Amino acid sequence: MAGSEEIVPRRAPWLTRGLGLALVLGFFAMAFTPLPNRLHRAFVAPEHLGHAEAIVVLGAGANLDYLTERSLRRAVHGIRLYHRQLAPVVVLHGPWPGWGAAEAAARAELARDLGVPDDAIVLAGGRTTREEARESWARLSKDGRTRILLVTGSHHMWRARALFERQGFDVLPAPVNEVATTGLRPEQRLALARSLIQEGTARLVYRLAGVI
Amino acid sequence: MEAYFVLVLVALTSLGAGLLEARRQPRSFVSLRAAAARALEAAGLTIVFFLANVATGALLTMAARASKVTFISIYLSTDVTLIVLSLLQALVYQRWREGRLEAR
Repeated sequence: MAGSEEIVPRRAPWLTRGLGLALVLGFFAMAFTPLPNRLHRAFVAPEHLGHAEAIVVLGAGANLDYLTERSLRRAVHGIRLYHRQLAPVVVLHGPWPGWGAAEAAARAELARDLGVPDDAIVLAGGRTTREEARESWARLSKDGRTRILLVTGSHHMWRARALFERQGFDVLPAPVNEVATTGLRPEQRLALARSLIQEGTARLVYRLAGVI
Repeated sequence: MEAYFVLVLVALTSLGAGLLEARRQPRSFVSLRAAAARALEAAGLTIVFFLANVATGALLTMAARASKVTFISIYLSTDVTLIVLSLLQALVYQRWREGRLEAR
């Protein structure tokens, strides 16, 4: 067939086109409609504050010289609960040095600056939520402190609560919104959607793996 | 207005580009549908690459944790830059495949 073009049929573009269409429609639904805001309301566990024996603040990462926004939000919420006299002790989690920045130590410094006495601060490690549940249990159960106010992100609460209850704690959820939940700007809605998709996938994996 | 402002911007610049192209090549709107279909293919390939990247990241994370050599956070596999990199992978792959088909 010299001088003429051989027509080669393209293989099944419909699958990739269908996926592409789903992506575009999903993007518009998440960025330009209130869908993620509504999903958020259906996704989160309600706050249940009450008197407890400890406030446990889960880690959320730190860079070399400062706490991430999520880590800061959780720490401040835990400190506020302490000042409301809902528990006598605050457990501040964060990976130990060697596994990243000293998040727990940076949070402890913040807590002291905001008026929490040294003897009310407990530092604990843990790189995953499961490790944090074990670390908290090791530090609190020996003093009979098993009723806790658990401070973590509102989307993360379901998994964290399940792991801490499985460890033996009686958990009162004290969730923190870590992304704008009522935002109208597309960027805010996409951040909310990303958080929901991330945690939704994690829940599914936990269920399939039999972790919870 | 806050929710739709960027859509207005995109609509205006798209209209501008469309008018410019129509002046240069009056019948170019005929190929617009084919271009949109190819753009959807690129978007679909982006999903495929993104899911493959996340799955590979999850496997590497689990392997690293199981080996106890190092610890990798699972959240590294969901970094937002992965979406942009997956799009680049998809565009290169699409162009490569199309070039191969044209060369045959």
